[in-house]
Amino acid sequence: MIETISGPRRLVSASCAAFGVGACLGGIVTFALLGLVGRAAHSFGHALPFVAVVAGAAGIAEARGMAVAPQIRRQVPEHWRRVVALPLAAGLYGILLGIGFTTFVYTFALWALVAIVLLLGSPVTGVLTGLAFGAGRALPVVLLAPIVHVRFGRDLVDRMAQRPRTLSVVRLAVASCLLVVVLAVLGTAAGAATNLGSGTDPSVSGTSVVWTAPTGGVLRQEDGSGAATVPPRATVGGSLLAWRDGSTVHVARLADLSPVLDLDVTGVNAIAVSDEWLVTRAQVPGGEKLTARSLSAPSTVVPVATAHTPTRLGRPALDGSLLVYHVAASRLSSIVAVDLAGGTRRVVRRSASGQLTNPAVLGADLVYDRLTNTAQLVQVGPIDRRGSDRIALKLNAPSIHDAGHESHYSNHTRTRRPRPANWRLWTTALSSRNVYVTLLPRIGSPASARLVSVAR
Amino acid sequence: MRPIGESLAASTSRRGFLARTSRLLAVLAGGGAISALVKPGTADAFHFCGHIYTTDSCPHPTGLPRVDAHGFPLRAADGHPVDDLGQPVNTAGQPVDASGRVLLDPDGLPLPPAPRTRVCQDGVTGRIGRRARIDGSWYRCCGGHIRKLVDCCAHTPRRINGDAALTGYCYSGRRVYCVMYYDTKIPC
Repeated sequence: MIETISGPRRLVSASCAAFGVGACLGGIVTFALLGLVGRAAHSFGHALPFVAVVAGAAGIAEARGMAVAPQIRRQVPEHWRRVVALPLAAGLYGILLGIGFTTFVYTFALWALVAIVLLLGSPVTGVLTGLAFGAGRALPVVLLAPIVHVRFGRDLVDRMAQRPRTLSVVRLAVASCLLVVVLAVLGTAAGAATNLGSGTDPSVSGTSVVWTAPTGGVLRQEDGSGAATVPPRATVGGSLLAWRDGSTVHVARLADLSPVLDLDVTGVNAIAVSDEWLVTRAQVPGGEKLTARSLSAPSTVVPVATAHTPTRLGRPALDGSLLVYHVAASRLSSIVAVDLAGGTRRVVRRSASGQLTNPAVLGADLVYDRLTNTAQLVQVGPIDRRGSDRIALKLNAPSIHDAGHESHYSNHTRTRRPRPANWRLWTTALSSRNVYVTLLPRIGSPASARLVSVAR
Repeated sequence: MRPIGESLAASTSRRGFLARTSRLLAVLAGGGAISALVKPGTADAFHFCGHIYTTDSCPHPTGLPRVDAHGFPLRAADGHPVDDLGQPVNTAGQPVDASGRVLLDPDGLPLPPAPRTRVCQDGVTGRIGRRARIDGSWYRCCGGHIRKLVDCCAHTPRRINGDAALTGYCYSGRRVYCVMYYDTKIPC
């Protein structure tokens, strides 16, 4: 390819530019499409462990210099350079090389990248990967074509073409890059979060997600098909939307915001709604109180829980008649589930040393925050089966640790020093696809809270 | 003249030293003039002042195993109470910022308190599944104040380091699982 576009010399610059643009374009289109396909498939759930496996396997294969398989035994159409202008032909060649699947494959990295982009299912990641891939393919050609006429350039080309050692070194470099991918994945330890922007207190019904942004309430479909403005401090459940405005709680139909119920709850500071129930948390003298109202008989108030300061009751979350909330005390942290229809309650998670907060429920699945002194985890698992929760999102420690030894004394200690996170896990919501989490800044105003989503 | 604190710290019997120190503290509490005569002498240590053996620190929310008189965790740097997450807390157990203001959520409500448990009796017990307790302790002069160093004891053959546990200042067959310390305000 270098020699193909290196002459005539007056066209080298234009040919190199066209080749570089073509290679990047081909890479972007290819990998963006793979990202779209991956997102459409949506069947991988936790992709990162698989990404680590793929990158690790490809890296080992590269480092060992194994024969690349599957192999594509084709080259670019040589006659193009004779039937069209050379810069145009160079651009087309670039596109073919950028696509990756159309010519001979020199490393396992191509197949690894294809698998990784498919697994991640992110078109943006695909675009960036394609750009890097195209640039990587174009760079040697663009750099060497202008100097191939001088002795130094010819020596370099000969070395590339005739000495296997050159390819081996390149493949070792590729293996190193794949190792970096593995380490990055292991460092992340959990699914990467998608930033939805400033906002707090998410709730989900079906594919409708509602949260409160600084500019007001937001209603968005998970598939990105639509977005609308709703009142701030709103929550969604079933076919209903509820929001609080001062001490007034409004309930309306999600479809057209037609009113269902308006009532006054003194001190209300959190609400949850489903097609059957409305649950409110209100400040009362000396503490907080959770109460439930059946939407078929809203005048009947069902007391659910009371806490005395400094013990706190968490934001309620509903799915049908199943209510979950946290109880945070200085001796015990627990998550409670209440069957409002049956009147039964049970502690579904508890910890005497960690903090379990902000649960949400969907069917038989529970999501909640688990904070310890070393890490912050968003965990998802069956509501009635402890010990089988998996980590959907992991942040660093919620507080600053010292070195574990005093200065001027031995540093020989096994005490770990986890890095502090910049964010603190807060309210959650759960859909069939995603987990939504509010992140509060560890330092600074809670008004700059951020909402993220992570695939379940 | 050898500093009083150092002489006491160098005593062969730590229990005897404890008794003498108790008497000394009463004397020292009587007047700053006496304390001014006591030249501070920093004790030798493994990874924190006063600790002269290799048993590692008890698991502590912020690292160095500083506790209060009741065994609850304190931040080593300034002695501020911390909860089990390592967050500074006020007397009500609510997390606070560097200025002591209660941390708030986006609705302006205090963030929920996290559990705050005793480092040895609760934390180590939960970690090893056997009841841990404080049996004995010894005192050293650290940073100009008397420091009480505490063995956290349990019926365990292994210490936190993973190797064999020693008797240390533990009684009734218990062995030292880990160590922690309490900084008094008594000058030395």
